[in-house]
Amino acid sequence: MARSAKAVPWFLFAAGGTITAFVLPVMLFVTNIAPPLGLFGEALSWETMYGFVSNWLVKLVLFGIIGFGLWHAAHRLRVCAHDFGIRADTAVAYVVYGLAGIGTLATIWALLSI
Amino acid sequence: MSARKPYVRKMSKTSWFLTHARFKSYMLHEVSSVFVALYMWLLIDGLFRLAKGPEAWEAWLSFIKHPLVVILSLIAFAFFIIHTTSWFKAVPQAMRIQTGEHFVDGKLIVGGHYVALGIFSLFVLILAGVA
Amino acid sequence: MSKRNIQLEVLRYRPEQDREPVFQTYTVPCEEEWVVLDALNYVKDEIDRTLSYRWSCHMFVCGSCGFKINGEPKLGCKAFLRDYGDKIRVEPLDNFPIERDLVVVIDDFVDKLQSVKPYIIPKEEKSVAAGEYIQTPAQLKTFKQYSMCINCLLCYSACPQYGLTNQEFIGPAALALAHRYNMDSRDVGRSAREHVLASHEGVWECSFVGACSIVCPKDVDPAGAIQQAKFTSAIDYLTSMVGIGGK
Repeated sequence: MARSAKAVPWFLFAAGGTITAFVLPVMLFVTNIAPPLGLFGEALSWETMYGFVSNWLVKLVLFGIIGFGLWHAAHRLRVCAHDFGIRADTAVAYVVYGLAGIGTLATIWALLSI
Repeated sequence: MSARKPYVRKMSKTSWFLTHARFKSYMLHEVSSVFVALYMWLLIDGLFRLAKGPEAWEAWLSFIKHPLVVILSLIAFAFFIIHTTSWFKAVPQAMRIQTGEHFVDGKLIVGGHYVALGIFSLFVLILAGVA
Repeated sequence: MSKRNIQLEVLRYRPEQDREPVFQTYTVPCEEEWVVLDALNYVKDEIDRTLSYRWSCHMFVCGSCGFKINGEPKLGCKAFLRDYGDKIRVEPLDNFPIERDLVVVIDDFVDKLQSVKPYIIPKEEKSVAAGEYIQTPAQLKTFKQYSMCINCLLCYSACPQYGLTNQEFIGPAALALAHRYNMDSRDVGRSAREHVLASHEGVWECSFVGACSIVCPKDVDPAGAIQQAKFTSAIDYLTSMVGIGGK
């Protein structure tokens, strides 16, 4: 039996799981649940948001949340596929990690263009 | 000749988790990853639109307010809560803190996580409210 | 002493006559303070001598009498009748082939247990005259919980990944025991266990369902041990990847 390379994505999964556990409930509330309720209208205006995200520290934090979130979800989706009876683990791994990789690059691109 | 004839029981590889309540709750927190992934991509899209200009950003905001998206958001919120609670619950098992001959009580570790979650969430809400 | 009649539904498999397992119901007059194993012993002694099952100590030390009782992996000697209704269903442990009635084939586990080298591998062998390997109480405490395993296999029965991988997964008890020796201050065998522990079939096949720790009658917490082993294995993998040694 050979040592498994799963160690690498697992680290990202574990780190991402911790970050998302702390961040996502309140973040989703602010971005998706508050707007229909008419809350935080001021804060979510383009001017305020653009100014806020222009800050390099904010960019770094957002990159951390989205990047780790993507890899956390990717690894868990791989396990999910296995648990739902999809046995093509290698193919699944390429797809989920590939998408997470593309998402990570897209996040960097988006943040750099702000 | 051996009289042995061991009987192998079949296990469903696609619906096994329906056989026990704890498997169902396990699958529930595993499926949260679908919503985490969707939300991450929604955020990436939002960042691109934010970069593009006020009109594109307004379009993103009105997409958020679409009834179907609101319903999905509420479901996602429920799954995020499931993710957070199941994750915190598992922490003392994965991370034991030993001091001398004793281990820090797991309840203390979990409690600490909830306190941190509360403080962080409050901080974000205040930031969004006054920004 | 109050008596109660219990309908004991036992899954039976007699290879010489049954094509597949079938339930057989016994009506057992039970004492209220009995455990399920007592009820099985009553059946064996008074009703049906052909019923086969394993047991030995009757005090959750030997780990022989693991059954699935009302759908939950339990030790027969630790399942008190007062916690059950008048109908109790007893089946052999899941994920193992049935040899006969409640007896399962455990060869696969025994092989896996040996593969993780569950014994102390010291830095250098000492003669008895040279004295003992010294260990502080705090060092003992680090792994003691994981050394309480009695190999009853309730965790393998509860673990869906062991079944889903067609028994390729090394599984909870063996991995917890590997971790127990890795954590032992007298042991230097981590690299000797790594090719099993850190393999795809080792800790990385575990998805932390956590069922093993819930059903463990000795509070071993194999799930916790495996997550900790994942962490050290991941560190080992990363450090060896960037070429700063590793195990």
